Amino acid sequence: MYRTLKKFFAFCEKRERKQFYLSIFLGVFNAVFIAMRIPAIYVVLKALFEGNLSEKEGSVAVVVIIASIILQVIISMKTTMLQTEAGFNTASFKRMKIAEHLRYVPMGYFNSEGLGKVTSIATNTMENLSGVASRCVMVVSKGIITSLVIIVFMLFFNVWIGLVALATMIVYILGTELMIKAERTDSDEFTKAQDKMVSKILEYVRGIAEVRNFNLFGKSITKVDESIDRFGKYSTRLETTYEIAMFFLNILNKIAGVIMMIMSISFYLNGSMSLVYAVTMIICSFMIFESLDQVGAFNGLTRTIENCVDKANDALSSPTMDIDGKDITPTDMTLSVCNVDFSYDKRKIIDDISFDIPEKSTVAFVGPSGGGKTTITKLLARFWDVDKGSIYLGGKDIRDYSYDSLMKNFAFVFQNVYLFNDTIENNIRFGKPDASREEVIKAAKLACCHDFIMNLREGYDTIIGEGGASLSGGERQRLSIARAIMKDAPIIILDEATANVDPENEDLLMQAVKSLTKEKTVIMIAHRLKTVENADKIFVIDNGKIAQEGKHDELINEEGIYRRFIVDRKEAAGWKISKTSA
Amino acid sequence: MKKREKSENAKIQQNTLNKNTFRWLWEFTKGKRGTYLLSVILALLGVASMLLVYVCLASLIRELITGGHDIGFYIQRGVQIGLLWVIRYAFHGFSTYSAHASTFGLIGNARKKLLKKLNTMPLGAVQMRSSGEYKSIICDRADQIEPTLAHVVPEFTANIVGAIVMFIYMMTIDWRVGLWQLICIPVGIVAFALMMSSTPKYYPNTIAKTKALNATAVEYIGGIEVIKAFGQSKTSYGKFVKAAKEGADCFIEWMRSQNFLENLGMACFPATLLGLLPAGVHYCLDGSLAPADFILLIILSLGTIAPLITVFGYGDDIAKVGEIISDMADVMEEKDMIRPKEGDVKPKSHDIIIKDVHFSYKDKEVLHGVNLEIKDKTVNALVGPSGSGKSTIARLIASLWDVDSGEITIGGVNIKDMTLEEYNKHVSYVSQENYLFDQSVMDNIRMGKDDATDEEVVEAAKRCGCHEFIMSLEKGYQTICGGSGGHLSGGERQRISIARAMLKDAPIVILDEATSYTDPESEAVIQNALSKLTVGKTLIVIAHRLSTIVDADRIFLINDGNVENYGTQEEMLSSSALYKSMWESHMALKKGGN
Repeated sequence: MYRTLKKFFAFCEKRERKQFYLSIFLGVFNAVFIAMRIPAIYVVLKALFEGNLSEKEGSVAVVVIIASIILQVIISMKTTMLQTEAGFNTASFKRMKIAEHLRYVPMGYFNSEGLGKVTSIATNTMENLSGVASRCVMVVSKGIITSLVIIVFMLFFNVWIGLVALATMIVYILGTELMIKAERTDSDEFTKAQDKMVSKILEYVRGIAEVRNFNLFGKSITKVDESIDRFGKYSTRLETTYEIAMFFLNILNKIAGVIMMIMSISFYLNGSMSLVYAVTMIICSFMIFESLDQVGAFNGLTRTIENCVDKANDALSSPTMDIDGKDITPTDMTLSVCNVDFSYDKRKIIDDISFDIPEKSTVAFVGPSGGGKTTITKLLARFWDVDKGSIYLGGKDIRDYSYDSLMKNFAFVFQNVYLFNDTIENNIRFGKPDASREEVIKAAKLACCHDFIMNLREGYDTIIGEGGASLSGGERQRLSIARAIMKDAPIIILDEATANVDPENEDLLMQAVKSLTKEKTVIMIAHRLKTVENADKIFVIDNGKIAQEGKHDELINEEGIYRRFIVDRKEAAGWKISKTSA
Repeated sequence: MKKREKSENAKIQQNTLNKNTFRWLWEFTKGKRGTYLLSVILALLGVASMLLVYVCLASLIRELITGGHDIGFYIQRGVQIGLLWVIRYAFHGFSTYSAHASTFGLIGNARKKLLKKLNTMPLGAVQMRSSGEYKSIICDRADQIEPTLAHVVPEFTANIVGAIVMFIYMMTIDWRVGLWQLICIPVGIVAFALMMSSTPKYYPNTIAKTKALNATAVEYIGGIEVIKAFGQSKTSYGKFVKAAKEGADCFIEWMRSQNFLENLGMACFPATLLGLLPAGVHYCLDGSLAPADFILLIILSLGTIAPLITVFGYGDDIAKVGEIISDMADVMEEKDMIRPKEGDVKPKSHDIIIKDVHFSYKDKEVLHGVNLEIKDKTVNALVGPSGSGKSTIARLIASLWDVDSGEITIGGVNIKDMTLEEYNKHVSYVSQENYLFDQSVMDNIRMGKDDATDEEVVEAAKRCGCHEFIMSLEKGYQTICGGSGGHLSGGERQRISIARAMLKDAPIVILDEATSYTDPESEAVIQNALSKLTVGKTLIVIAHRLSTIVDADRIFLINDGNVENYGTQEEMLSSSALYKSMWESHMALKKGGN
């Protein structure tokens, strides 16, 4: 538990850590005020046993207790605010840190699943942490401090009994540590069972179409039930360990209370302690462990805190690039790639490639899937940093540019289009934040979006994106092109596989692409014959190297991948379904 | 999606739960109710043991105050109290244990029921939620109900009943002092009531701000590539920071507004001594309260109210459990497909007849009385502009949805009269989104036919052009496909799924979007595999490229939710102006492009 709290405090920002520490320190006073009940009781009992009890003692007790309540309220108002602020602000700063971190992570690093994970950490995990962490800090520190203060009171009354109480508390705390250790051993199995169950469930959900198509429900491959039961079993086992430990810890406290009681009585009987002391000690023995019990009960939460902290640290551990270069405006748009190597997951994907792309030329990359053609286009726009060699834009290394000033020169059209949960107008305007409505409409017209936009009930004011009006894949695609047109960047990077998103409206898409690419440098991952035929230069990428390069007329006459590619394309384009085809 | 969105908004606005939430919770407890009851009984026995502790203590205190000097007596009582504590915590432990065991069982039940439900809902309805949402409902959030539900049963029993029993015991010792100790309670109640009354003022704001924060996070992180690509990372980051700050501030502000009341309440509720001490003094003075009883009352009062406060703390958690169960209930209450569970109705042939079919999607009718006839072992194409309804028809035939009205028959049998299991033996639905399980290639293909031998699997793989690339994998047919095992390209995965369908060998094959590829480089190989799959079948193709279906026996032109025309390629070209113009624009594009 103390390890977890230490880890958590290390995780906090300085200001929040200080707030937590201050709140713990103030907790000492709070504990003293709570313990003021003991002197109040003592005053009454003393008069009672000495036979001089009067209403005055009652009034003294009332005054002391009212004072204790008022002081408690004042101090806990302060500590509550400190802990609330520290808890929520810690979560809030971590969220900002994650967001800030993402700005420096290579664009290619995350797939959608990875991004989903980070999103969940920035939202759910942090929400969970802000609630649990401050509650845990509050209860644990309060429990220990209150007990300690009462023990000090007891030491003052009687050293031996106080020492028994102190020893009990130490054993109790060691006991909770042991319990956490015991849980750790179990929790490995538990985590394994949980992961297994989650992946089984996810597999079932994602494959539900196949589960039905092939009547797989209840068959071995989808034995989800088994993994659910297994997880239930391990959960219960973990809980059993916890219950057994809690049983012994509770018994420890209660037995210690009984021992302290018997000690008080025997001290009284042998005359070394007055009756009023003895009775006060008996009352203390019932009070002392009441707040300590809560400490054990909150042990379960430490796992949650640790889990949250680990997840957030994990999200912050992805590799980053140095993107704080200078704001540079290149004088010409020539791209030069010099001896570039790039590996991903220890696999070499680009192997010593060099080439030039002159301004306003159209370049096509072709080659087998997995050959590296997508990667090379992404390296050009610094989605990743190269491992070796350099890429120059207008004669300057792209790593010397600030990220934003580099990005000004590029526009992308890829297969997966991300639209913001905003109006269509604002989504298009994202390419140029200060554009007028007329400019937006002009771009939309050029990208063949205007007609379908006007068919929507609220036209350009229609909200789209997550949970907004549904658009077809092709419409989304063309909106992203309108956005790119708006940006008016001199270099366009384009994946032609996009045409498959909406084959019925391929002509509209082609028209939109044509508007976008006019007078620009165009870099395409090409699939269409027409594109490669008209390209100024074709690079055939295979195994991370340039296998062939040149114009269509030159390459078509060479033996090689390119010719095979053309034949395949023609064959695919001419394919038709018939009864006798085989 | 829109419909769900709407209901979600409504939920946030009124913060209402599914009205059958409790019924479903009760349903999920099936088989676990006995252990829950056991937990309650054990908790009550625990309370009884605790009462005995205090009865022993009472006798000990009385003896002490009245001057008993026999240490043996005290030790005897001490041992009794110690033993009773052991018994009390043993009961308590077993009670908590059985509540946990039942709760884990309950969650397991809920998970199994939800998963089973996904198998009987229309597939289209299943896909209205993302797999991430299902994971959240079935895995993550389901786990979150455990701590509350498992603790509520034993602790509510022990703490509430315990507090009442203690209170009654105090009343039997001296009812006047028993009442006096409650003097602070009204203050506490007023404080908490005032605190609650400010909830409507702050709670909606925190919900709104949290929602805004989450939406901003989703957009910022999900859209990070676009944001960077458009050089907007500074601006968007600024927006995120603002949302994050507001997300924290609203809670802090709420806490600040009720800080005084909450702490006042928390300090007042357990302050039983405030009334008890002066009252005790008073009654001791007039002789109506024995000193021993007074001391006993002091000790008893220490433990009366505190447990109740623990119970208050569960309020929020219980509300959260309600929300989670409510989300589960929403899934459980989705409409099932109307299919018999058992029966042996089989189609006599594979002629498909669609009669006057209407179908609405998200409250909007997309098919307005479709009629069409597909003959056994013919090639049929559904064509039409995007959004015309052609894919919907295919999905209805594939039993992914149920029709609203009208009927679909196969070999004279209404598909609603066939079990899904029987039905699935006759139809293969191949789209570009075929999922591979986290299993070996061999097992993935074998899914098509349970009892297929390894040779049969390899044969199917060979015919689909998979064999070569499979053999080039390090572990060949034993390679694990899985979502994470990214050894396979999109085209390779698609071919494996076609091999699977080939092994299944269903007489009706529906190709939906299967002819457009995520992996254009392997288009030709995939087409080849599809050609082999479809030989001699009743084939329904959703065609996006008209040139692929010129040889079809029948082409159905779907427009605006109706069958506008049908016939062969020649017939269509001469009889349908729309088809003709579609054909011409397709040919123009082809000449220009591919």
